[in-house]
Amino acid sequence: MKRMGHRTAGSLLIRAAIAAALAVIQPVSTLRAQAAGTLIWGMPSETDILDPHATGGWTTYQITYQIFEGLAKEDLTKGDVPTPPLVPGLATAWEISPDGLQYTFKLRPGVSFHDGTPFDAAAVKFNFERFWDKSSPDFYPKAASFVVAYTKWIKGIEVLDPMAVRITLTAPNYQWLRQGLQSYGQPLMVSPTAVKKYGNEGLALHPVGTGPFRFVERQQGVRTVLERNPDYWGQKAKLDRVIFRPLQDPATRINALSNGEVHMISTPPWDEIQGMIDDGFKLSTSPNVPYINYLYLNLKQDVFKDVRVRRAVNMAIDREGISREIYKKTGRPEFGLLSPGTDAYDPSFRSYKYDPDAAKKLLAEAGYPNGFKVVFEIPQVGTGELVESWIQRDLKKIGIDVELRKFEWVTYMGRWAGGMGQDVGMNEIGWGMSTPAWIGIVARCDTMAPDGQNSGYYCNKEVDALLSQALVTPDPAAAKALYQKANRLILDDAGYVPVVDDLQPVMLSPKVHGFVNPPEDWFDLSTVSVD
Amino acid sequence: MRGFLVRRLAALVPVLVGVSIVIFLLMHLAPGDVTTVLLGPQATEADRVALRRTLGLDRPVPVQYARWVARVAEGDLGTSIATSRPVATLILPRFLNTALLTATSLALAVMIGYGAGLLAALRHRSVLDRVLTGFTLLLGSTPPFWLGLVLVLFFALRLHWLPVSGMTDMAGEGGALDVARHLVLPTVTTALGPAAIITRLVRSSVLEAMGRPHVRVARAKGLGRGALLWRHVILNALPPIMTITGLQLGYLLGGALFSEVVFAWPGLGSLLYDSITARDTPVVQAATLLIALLFVMVNILVDLVNAALDPRLKES
Repeated sequence: MKRMGHRTAGSLLIRAAIAAALAVIQPVSTLRAQAAGTLIWGMPSETDILDPHATGGWTTYQITYQIFEGLAKEDLTKGDVPTPPLVPGLATAWEISPDGLQYTFKLRPGVSFHDGTPFDAAAVKFNFERFWDKSSPDFYPKAASFVVAYTKWIKGIEVLDPMAVRITLTAPNYQWLRQGLQSYGQPLMVSPTAVKKYGNEGLALHPVGTGPFRFVERQQGVRTVLERNPDYWGQKAKLDRVIFRPLQDPATRINALSNGEVHMISTPPWDEIQGMIDDGFKLSTSPNVPYINYLYLNLKQDVFKDVRVRRAVNMAIDREGISREIYKKTGRPEFGLLSPGTDAYDPSFRSYKYDPDAAKKLLAEAGYPNGFKVVFEIPQVGTGELVESWIQRDLKKIGIDVELRKFEWVTYMGRWAGGMGQDVGMNEIGWGMSTPAWIGIVARCDTMAPDGQNSGYYCNKEVDALLSQALVTPDPAAAKALYQKANRLILDDAGYVPVVDDLQPVMLSPKVHGFVNPPEDWFDLSTVSVD
Repeated sequence: MRGFLVRRLAALVPVLVGVSIVIFLLMHLAPGDVTTVLLGPQATEADRVALRRTLGLDRPVPVQYARWVARVAEGDLGTSIATSRPVATLILPRFLNTALLTATSLALAVMIGYGAGLLAALRHRSVLDRVLTGFTLLLGSTPPFWLGLVLVLFFALRLHWLPVSGMTDMAGEGGALDVARHLVLPTVTTALGPAAIITRLVRSSVLEAMGRPHVRVARAKGLGRGALLWRHVILNALPPIMTITGLQLGYLLGGALFSEVVFAWPGLGSLLYDSITARDTPVVQAATLLIALLFVMVNILVDLVNAALDPRLKES
C-alpha cells in the first residue's frame, strides 16, 4: 500500500506538471484573440523622448506624429502623390503677405488638447515662446536647438485675436511651413498646461497634444502605448490602440511578425522579404521617399579637387546592381541629390550612367591611370556593409583602392557632422526631407562642416544663388525649376555620389488594412484597422 | 563566521570603486559626443557647448566622478541624459527582468548539471556516461544566439507553442502565466551552456571523491549506497561544484544579454546597449555597478556556503 501511495502521489505530481506545462505551452493565437482594434508595430530601435520640440529622427516622429499636430500639416493619407500636400491642421487657413514676410493663421475653433486645455492663440504663443523666445520664462534651450531650421527665420509673433496669430519672418522663405515639418525638431503644438505642470523636461514623460491618438504609457525599451482620442476634431482613428515595440534584432522582428506577435515591422531584412510575401504577408513601399542614400567626396583632398575624378567615381558605381541584388524589391537607383519625396524631383534625370570603362579613361586623363587609395568612413548599422562593400568592389575595378573604416553610430555622427578629416576621402549618409530646400543644408557653401552638414566641403556660388532665389520664389513651378537647375549643377560638378533610394519597406500582417506608405518617413495611423 | 563575512564584504568596496572608475574612464575615453546625439545634426557648436555646461560635462573628469560618487553615496543614481528619467526608475525594472531570467536559467542549469553530472559519474564509462559527456560537450560549444534561433524556429514558428519575443503578450492581460510562457525559450537558451559546464564538473568532482580512500573504507565497512554517496562523496565534492556554480552566474549574465537580444527580453543588457550608444554615462555607470555588485555578492554567498561545508576555508 505504501508503495502504491508513493506511485499515486508521483503520478499526481506528474499530471500536475503536465497540466502546468500545457497551460504555459498553449497555442499563441488563443491569447491574442483579445487584441481586436490594436495595432502592434515592431520598430527597429527604441525611440527618443516624446517631445516633438526637443527630439529628432524619423523613428520618434512615427510616434509623435500620432499625438501632436502643427498649424499646417502634411497629408499622409495618400501614398501615390509625389509629395505630401500641405493641408490645414490646427489652423483652418493661412495667408501669406505679398512680400512673403507675414503669415497670418486662422486657428481651428473647438479643439482641445488631450488634457482638456483649449487650443487657442495663447497656446500657439506659448509654444513659440518655448522653442524660440529666449526672453520667455518658458524658453527651452534644447527645443530651440532642435527647431532651429524653422525658428531662425522668425522675427516675431503676435496674437491678433483669441483665434488668430501672425508670425513675421526676417526674410521671405516659401518653404518655411514645410521646413517646420521635417525630421529635426517640429513646431507642433504641445499643451501649455502639461508643460507648466511637468516642466520643460517633464513633458517628454507626459506628452499631451491634440492628435488622433493620446498617450497612455511608456515602458522604456518595452513598449509605448497610445489610444484613440475620442474627442479628436477630425476623422477619428479606427484603431483602439497602437503599441510600439522596439525589436532591434532584424531576425527577431521577422520572427515576431511570423508568429503573430506584432502586426507590422519596419526595416525588414532584405533577404527575408520575398519569403514573407510567399507566406502571405504584405509588403508596402513608398515610391516617393523623402530621402536618398548618398556619398560625400572630400573636396579638400587633392585627388577629389579634380572634377574628372569625381565624375569617374560617379560612373564607376553600378546603382542598378545595388538596387537589384541588395535591396531586392525595396530600392531604386538614384542619380540626383533631390529626394523623390520633394515636388522638385525629376524622375527622368540621369546624371551618370554605369560605365566603368569611361570612368577608367577619365581617371587616366586626370593623371591617375593606376588609380589611388582612399579612405571611406561608414557607420555601423544593422544591415552590415553590403552596399559599401559593393561600392568598394566597383571602385576597385577602375583602380581605386577603398579602405572601409567603420565607426559605431554616435562616433560616426560626430565625424560626419564635424566634416571629413584630411585623411578621409569619402563618407556616407541616408538623409533628406520632403522640402527641396534640404539640398541647401548639405550643399551650400555656408553650410560647410563643422557649422553645417556639408561634410565634404562642396561649394559652388552659382548653386547657392539658385537655392537662395528658390526660397524667395512664391510660384511653386518657378521654384521647382530653380531647384532642379541647382541639382543639375551639383551633379555636373559631381560634388556628391547619389546611390540609391530605400523605398521604406514595411511588412504587414494580412490582418492589417488601410495602411498608407506616404512620401514621408512617418505614417498616419488613423486610417489603419486590424481584423 | 562573522569575521569571515566582514572580511569578504570589506573586499567588496575596492572592487566596486575600481569598476566604477574603469567604466567612468571608458565612457569618457570613447569617441563621440553625447551632445551630437541629444541636439541633432543642425545644432550649432554654441548649442553643444551650452548643453555640455548644463550637463556638467565641461568639468574635469575627476570632478565629474567625485560629484557622481557623492550623489550615489546619498542614494541618488542621477538622471538619464538621454531619457530625462531618474536612473533608478530605468534600471530597477530592467534589473528585475534580468534577475528573473538569470535566476530561472541558473535553476535550470543546476538541475540539469547536478542531475546529469551525478548520473554520469555513477554510471562511469557506461554508454549513458558517454552520451551525457558528448552531449554536454556539444551544448557547451554551442553559441547561445544560434541555439536561441533554432529553438525559436522549432518551438515557436513550427509548432506555435511558445512566443518568440518580449516578456508578455502585448495585447493580452499579462500575468504570471504569460510571463512564464515567454520565459521558457530564453531560459533554456541561456541555461544550456552553463548546464553543460556544471555537468562536466560535477561528474569529475564526484568521480574524484568516489576514488578517495575513505570512501573505499566506508564501502568496505558495508555502508549503504545512499549514505555513502551523501556523507562521503557529495559533501566532499560540493565545494568546487559550488564555486563553479557561482562563477557560472557571470556566464549566465553574459548569456542572458544574448538571449535579451534574440528574444527581445527587456533586461539590463538591452538597456546597457542603448545607453552606451547614446553615451548615457549615468545609466551605464549604475547598470554596470549593479551587475558587478550582483556578481560579487553571489560569489560571497558561495564562499559562505563553502565555508560552512568546509571549516578549513574559514580559517584560511
